[in-house]
Amino acid sequence: MKRPVAVVGVGQTHHKARRADVSIPGLVREAVDRALADAGLRHEDIDAVVVGKAPDMLEGVMQPEQFLAGALGAHLKPLLRVHTAGSVGASTAITAMTHVASGLYDRVLAVAFEKQSEGNAMWALSPNLPFTPPLVAGAGGFFAPYCRAYIARTGCPPHIGPVTAASARDNAGRNEYAHLREPMTVDDVMNSPVLWDPIRYLETCPSSDGAIALVVANEDAARKGPRKPAWIKGAASYAEGMWVPGRDQVSPRAGKVCARHVYDQAGITNPWKEIHTAEIYVPFAWFEAMWLENLGFCDEAEGWKLVDRGEVKFGAHLPINPSGGVLCTNPIGASGMIRLGEAALQVMGRAGAHQVEGAKTALGHAYGGGAQYFAMWVVGSER
Amino acid sequence: MSLRNVAVVGFAQLPVVARDEHRMSTEMLYPVVREALERVGVTRDAIDYQVSASADYLDGRPFGFVAALDVMGSWPPRQDLHLEMDGSFAAYYAWLKIQTGEVDTAIVCAHGKTSEGEPERVLNLQLDPYYQAPLGLTPTATAALQASAYQARTGATDADFAAVAARNRAAGARNPDNQVRESASADALQRTPWVIEPLRRGYLSPVGESASCLVLAAEGKAEQLCQRPAWIHGVDHRTELQSIGARDLSRSAGAARAAEKAFEMAGIGSARDVDLVELLATNPAEELIVCEALGVNARATAPVVNPSGGALCAHPVMSTGLIRLGEVFRQLSGQAGERTVPGARRAVAHASQGHCLQQNVVWVLGTERRWA
Repeated sequence: MKRPVAVVGVGQTHHKARRADVSIPGLVREAVDRALADAGLRHEDIDAVVVGKAPDMLEGVMQPEQFLAGALGAHLKPLLRVHTAGSVGASTAITAMTHVASGLYDRVLAVAFEKQSEGNAMWALSPNLPFTPPLVAGAGGFFAPYCRAYIARTGCPPHIGPVTAASARDNAGRNEYAHLREPMTVDDVMNSPVLWDPIRYLETCPSSDGAIALVVANEDAARKGPRKPAWIKGAASYAEGMWVPGRDQVSPRAGKVCARHVYDQAGITNPWKEIHTAEIYVPFAWFEAMWLENLGFCDEAEGWKLVDRGEVKFGAHLPINPSGGVLCTNPIGASGMIRLGEAALQVMGRAGAHQVEGAKTALGHAYGGGAQYFAMWVVGSER
Repeated sequence: MSLRNVAVVGFAQLPVVARDEHRMSTEMLYPVVREALERVGVTRDAIDYQVSASADYLDGRPFGFVAALDVMGSWPPRQDLHLEMDGSFAAYYAWLKIQTGEVDTAIVCAHGKTSEGEPERVLNLQLDPYYQAPLGLTPTATAALQASAYQARTGATDADFAAVAARNRAAGARNPDNQVRESASADALQRTPWVIEPLRRGYLSPVGESASCLVLAAEGKAEQLCQRPAWIHGVDHRTELQSIGARDLSRSAGAARAAEKAFEMAGIGSARDVDLVELLATNPAEELIVCEALGVNARATAPVVNPSGGALCAHPVMSTGLIRLGEVFRQLSGQAGERTVPGARRAVAHASQGHCLQQNVVWVLGTERRWA
């Protein structure tokens, strides 16, 4: 990157099924206040605000950043609203980064949230479109065939989803902000009902209320901050069309291209060796194995074997989702930014009980749409 | 500071209609993307970046923009972003992305199918869901509050509003892309019924829909894509609080701040240094408030305000702001046909969105490069 950009503050809410104690502005403000305090900054230090969230139907407010302008401290500042489906939290952070990388802004606040208890996500994610039979099955019904195709293609055995789900829950037990933290065994997952074959109930992300905010800054501002920053070594967002004949939904080309772009910027040639931990977007357990391949951590059909051998568990070679990930916390619009923020916390060495020892380089990743939108960054402890 | 010279090099839009009966939002966008690329003489592969602009609530569905990926030519995969904002704000982000030096060219696409719902009810949902939306305030109701506040402060009369509307209607009759193409006298407009006092039927934008696509390119590429690029000299955008009771509705502090910053970047003292202004105002009070914020005398002959006819003659939500930028490009590149402002060398393009001009973006463009 031509101008260095760093994450200098991270703040997130405690995530729950229903945050009845706060309004939408209250929820957002909780994350913003924590991020600013973390960065040792005040609202007047912020040059611009970028907001991301998933479909407005989830809360029933159109372009809610407009009524949230006060809670965001955005009065008389530039305010942009991003929406790139499930990847939106990640692309919002990258949009904030671009502001600083342009040289026009010194410190930018990125905020992402979802207060899913205000509405009904299953309804909001089941559109009835012209010429398209309605699934009325939400995201799980939509993505189950992707998982089935992966299993058929790679011979992935039936316990892989449960292994990933149980491991994620184990990780979330170390993360005080996570929504679902109750211990859960592989057998518990195996014995939970199938919602959308092959996806079982306990292999499915929850609906959460939550928000996260990041402060990104230029080199000068980052060096003046009270804490060690996380330097953004590479970042990109890519998307591909839905109706492309022969498009590979299981390992989409946009994901591969995006990862390569980011690795090239970060000077990474072997991600399995050079990345120490990754927060990747796994809303249904089978996607962990799928993304390990798509992100180039292993060859095709090898992803489930890494899961099976325990090489991506906490304390192993490449801990995936040490925070517990989307499977344990899913305020949809915020989930992508939580991935990128958690990656930043890891290289700052401030992830608390779920800190990966010696994490100097970390990947944050999110996807959205029909596995069409990809946004990711690699952060490092050194400039 | 010295920035990259970036220009608008191409623009296409669908003529605005009340309802495009036979096409979905993205089907409307497709021919516009094709036309914009044909105008700059390249295929999609030659463009580095894409930004789309739309709103799920207007389309009456979640993820309307996902379908737009296909018609924007997103194969192989493209570097992409979608903003839930008017296309002019999306263009701002594309310009910012080009400023990083990572990309040189971008397309900006805006689409919205306003006729899928009732905008008066849909746009109510932009308001604070706890205290304001439940009151049933529509955009026309909040606009009427703003118009009243403006009248109370300035003494502007019904006749003043009628004159602004009549000027837009007269200019708009010369623009073949407009939905409303009949000029109307101030007297006739002043006889139209109140919708909500002090706003009459003849003072309000028609409900319409369209799709639009703008092409941006950095110096070096811009000259190859366009004989007469419209160079960006300055741009800035600002939001205000939404709360109708928490700000002075008779003024637009956001437009004023954005204008101040954009003019500073452009190295001009005020809007008096430009030849024409295209602004997004959905009623005459908004136009007068924005003119005041920009430092433009709405009654003077220079700069010319809204030679296109403005949003009073066509208001396809999501595209209306991008069309202002496209209109300025057409004017500065000699493609404005009968509505050409002779000798125009520098222009302002403004856009706003949200209730009572909550968010504003101000662009300054010129026929010459800004930075050496």
